[in-house]
Amino acid sequence: MAEENFLTDDFLRQLMNVGEVDILVGLPTHNNAKTVGSVVQTIQSGILHGFPRERAVIINADGGSRDGTPELVTGISIDDMRPASNLNSLRTLHSISTTYGNSPASGAALRTILAAAELLRAKACVVMSPESANIEPEWLPKLLRPIYDDGFDLVTPTYRRHKFEGQLITNLVYPMTRALYGLRIREAYSPEFGFSSRLGSQFLAQNAWNDGTEGAGVELLFTLAAITGRSRICQSFLGEKDSVERRGADLVPALRQTVGALFSTMEPAFPAWSAITGSEPTPTTGADQEVLLEPLRVNRKRLRNMFSTGVVELGSVFQAILSPSTQAELQRIALLGEEDFHYPAELWVRTVYEFAASYQKSVISRDHIIQALAPLFRGRVLTFLMENRTASARDVENNIESLCLEFERLKPYLLEMWKSGE
Amino acid sequence: MREMIISELSQALHDIARGFAHFLPRLIVMLILAAVGWVIAYVLKVALRSVLRLVKFDKLSENAGASQLLTKAALPSATEMLSRFVFWVSWLGFILLGVSVLGILGLQEQVARFFLFLPRLFVAVFIMFFGLLAASFFSRAALLAAVNANVPSPRILSLAVRSVIIVFVLSIVFEELGLAEETMLVAFGIAFGALMFGLAIAFGMGGQDLARRFLEKKIIRRKEEENHDELSPL
Amino acid sequence: MPLNSDPLWYKDAIIYQVHVRTFHDSNGDGIGDFQGLEEKLDYLQELGINAIWLMPFFPSPLRDDGYDIADYNAVHPSYGTLEDFRKFLESAHDRGIRVIIELVSNHTSDQHPWFQESRSSRDNPRRDWYVWSDTDTRYKGARIIFLDTEKSNWAWDPISKSFYWHRFFSHQPDLNYDNPAVREQMWNVMKFWLEIGVDAFRLDAVPYLVEREGTNCENLPETHDVLKELRRKLDENFPGRMLLAEANQWPADLRPYFGNGDEFHMAFHFPLMPRMFMGLKLEDRKPITEILQQTPEIPPSCQWSLFLRNHDELTLEMVTNVERDYMYDTYAANKTMRLNLGIRRRLAPLLANDRRRMELMNGMLMSLPGTPIVYYGDEIGMGDNINLGDRNGVRTPMQWNGESNAGFSTAAPERLYAPLIQDPVYGYPAVNAFRQRASEHSLLNWMRSIIAVRRSTAVFGRGSIEFLYPANHRILAYVRQLGNEMVLAVNNLSSTAQAVELDLRRYKGNILIEMFGKNLFPRVGDLPYLLTLGPYQFYWFRLRRI
Repeated sequence: MAEENFLTDDFLRQLMNVGEVDILVGLPTHNNAKTVGSVVQTIQSGILHGFPRERAVIINADGGSRDGTPELVTGISIDDMRPASNLNSLRTLHSISTTYGNSPASGAALRTILAAAELLRAKACVVMSPESANIEPEWLPKLLRPIYDDGFDLVTPTYRRHKFEGQLITNLVYPMTRALYGLRIREAYSPEFGFSSRLGSQFLAQNAWNDGTEGAGVELLFTLAAITGRSRICQSFLGEKDSVERRGADLVPALRQTVGALFSTMEPAFPAWSAITGSEPTPTTGADQEVLLEPLRVNRKRLRNMFSTGVVELGSVFQAILSPSTQAELQRIALLGEEDFHYPAELWVRTVYEFAASYQKSVISRDHIIQALAPLFRGRVLTFLMENRTASARDVENNIESLCLEFERLKPYLLEMWKSGE
Repeated sequence: MREMIISELSQALHDIARGFAHFLPRLIVMLILAAVGWVIAYVLKVALRSVLRLVKFDKLSENAGASQLLTKAALPSATEMLSRFVFWVSWLGFILLGVSVLGILGLQEQVARFFLFLPRLFVAVFIMFFGLLAASFFSRAALLAAVNANVPSPRILSLAVRSVIIVFVLSIVFEELGLAEETMLVAFGIAFGALMFGLAIAFGMGGQDLARRFLEKKIIRRKEEENHDELSPL
Repeated sequence: MPLNSDPLWYKDAIIYQVHVRTFHDSNGDGIGDFQGLEEKLDYLQELGINAIWLMPFFPSPLRDDGYDIADYNAVHPSYGTLEDFRKFLESAHDRGIRVIIELVSNHTSDQHPWFQESRSSRDNPRRDWYVWSDTDTRYKGARIIFLDTEKSNWAWDPISKSFYWHRFFSHQPDLNYDNPAVREQMWNVMKFWLEIGVDAFRLDAVPYLVEREGTNCENLPETHDVLKELRRKLDENFPGRMLLAEANQWPADLRPYFGNGDEFHMAFHFPLMPRMFMGLKLEDRKPITEILQQTPEIPPSCQWSLFLRNHDELTLEMVTNVERDYMYDTYAANKTMRLNLGIRRRLAPLLANDRRRMELMNGMLMSLPGTPIVYYGDEIGMGDNINLGDRNGVRTPMQWNGESNAGFSTAAPERLYAPLIQDPVYGYPAVNAFRQRASEHSLLNWMRSIIAVRRSTAVFGRGSIEFLYPANHRILAYVRQLGNEMVLAVNNLSSTAQAVELDLRRYKGNILIEMFGKNLFPRVGDLPYLLTLGPYQFYWFRLRRI
């Protein structure tokens, strides 16, 4: 209902002129002038080679850029006003842009893209990130083909990464999502994913736009909507994950985006996840994600110190969140030296589950709960590094798999914690 | 002589008895009011307690950290405290009303002043409560931020934040209650200003080198740590 | 009605392409002839065309439908005599219809006396009239045109034991234009027909006249010199006659054939034609506007010639591989329809017999800059027979009525030069001129009316063109202008209803007058001009300031 007021008149006119399309590429941006030009060109190349006969459009949802990002995107349209010199295209390939607000909000951006997809009756859609420096033209067909040809509703990517990168995913988001919802989706909230118009319309109709989804992790919510809506999901291997965002200080915002979104959806989705046990594999195309093994220097001392400091200084906070036995265990570990340090998988799982339960009960401000998880996560990272220091790719995968199984095994504990004190 | 004493005495007794007889109805009224007041106050207390239980007032006060204060002082829970407070205040109000009926002049004025004072008392309690809430919230926020940013002595920082807020709240409460308000404000102002002034002097003049080295170490160390040996969590 | 004497008559022409063999048989031998054609001139005059382009009617073994000529100065006996031709020509002129004939200049039939002499021995005086070689390795840069039948451009002659050059079928040896005698003779042939009264020549296969080693043997400067010479002689001796070039090349390569107005008067715009079909299927004007953007300016006295279909396959030589595959998959899914990098189908079957699409394509044909050519039978929506070999599927007898032999001939049906189209959709009982003349809303009557509108103004034939690029890429819109006269054409290439906002600020203040019904449309103001069009619909508006 709010849909028709959400899109501006000007954008609506642009949509009218594009008309029905087969493929829609959504590109949310905010001040990405440095990278967006080459990303759009790669996208065009991917469309023209992968789908030369299909009608396609690039929809740019911009959050108030001041560096000319939208103009860069629309200036690369391929039509009879601006024919592409090196790419031979049968048809016009539109690039249109709209500004949804003055500050970036991934929820509003996704909503714009979904609305456009519904109005243009696109069959297969994909959202791309304007910052992917590693993007290849083949990524487009890899994300779109399963939808266009095989009828899947959601295609999440898998990447080639270093074995130590992305630990928030391998140690928390992936195992927990898997244990909760019974599906093994590695990257449940990547900024790049493909989806069918059916799923997009479903999510749009859920009208969940008013409860704070404007900011945090709307991609995760989208994936969860697909899971709970029993859509067909598959994974597709893309390539190397862009490692431009290598900044450890961004842990807390990352936690908010991922874990915050994950925890906040547990309450409304309780009927869905409480009944599930175990997990099933997701169909995957392309190479199994690969793992880079070259040695990487990590400041282990810092990790250990931040863990210990956290356990000690945040004692009063943890008292409200964790069970006494868990807290006691953590305090014991905090005293271990660097070489003996070990944050066992089972303890980690209990920690996370207790956090989830406390989050649901709002024992203290929910944002503070998320922040309190950061030092404990660092401790877990340290243990993971030590365990996998010389591990091969397969060993790393096996370790992650056993962690996942631990999450699944202890799910009854989560339910117990969830229900107590209700 | 004896007869005069007896007649004076009996006169005095007579007067007292008359005075007493005069006074008695008023006393009885006062007692009645007190009894009625007790009943009403009790009803209010029970009603308030139910309402507070319904809105989970205890949880809110837990968040405020008020509960912890109460338990430390071996006092019952916040709901209980507030209900009892309301009970006592209401009953006291009725008693005072009764007392005013007694007609004792000086008291009446005091009673009136008491009733005028009551709203300000409520406001002060209100401010205190939410002040405690804010102090608890922000001190915890500071604690978490400091821990996650690897700032040394996070607890001291958190305590400092809590203290500043509580002092501030107290000064407002005192002002509201009209107790040495100016003194409190001035004291607060002096303390805060002195702190700031002291820091300025320390960093600006006396502790230049120390401050410089301190800052350099902080910033450069931070940068070093950030630039390498950091994994991206995503 | 005498012919007007305007030397630029070809800019206002509407040309009807027909093979005399296919049109009407007067003597009952199953083959059309000139007398028969003459009898049908009223029909053509009524249709509104004012020029006829005749396919080759010269004596020939007919192994390439008459493009293999055995005698340049006579008429094939099946079609009548030279006298019959003269009479037909006169009748045509009386009705204001000009006649364009073929001049197959690049090659002759191997049955032509010239070749018979040339091959007889190496010392024959006509030896050098053709291109001979002892090896078949010369001119390696030249491509093979009839890919489906020929493996090489050289053929072995067992009589003189040497190879001769042929860019087309092996029974069509190329003439040697380096020989002045050949050039002289070709002029004599032209003179012969010009003196009879023919108005213009279509020169077949002109890019290939001259060969040179180390080139692709197409469009060489020497070829242009030959052609310029012919044109000079033509202008000197027969002013007001016209030369039309058949050169299947990219527009930039076609430009030299106009010279500075001193070579060809007209040339076919081959690359545009497949792109019109492509734009229709893609529902996107991009292929059309792009090729016209790449089309160079031509001298003021010159003119493009536009067509939708002709006697040959719909050629896909001048498109990219992606485009060719797309055209094959969408228009010729049945591989039998594909021939020599092209599609051999008529207009109506290509457009699935969709009346709206046929109108739209004809509308574009009549409003884009150039002289339009209507292929015989397309005005009634005739079908094709792809099972007849080569390109004969689109050269079946004209369907006049639903009676025996479709009114084409009184001969027994087995004697017809080709079988009639008989299927229930396109067969002659359903599709014929007689029925369509009687039916008010037939395709034939619609063609008459659009030709009439076209002829009502010189803007279409002689005006400039300016494309509008509305944001809705399914709409092809342009303004034709000649002096103060302006016409706006808006075409909806898609199968669904469309809305389009046109930026007509340049024409602010003009009233739009729709040219078929002459109804008024709103005046152009400051705001974008909103038009809505039904599927495949088009508008022609006169812009009138009043």
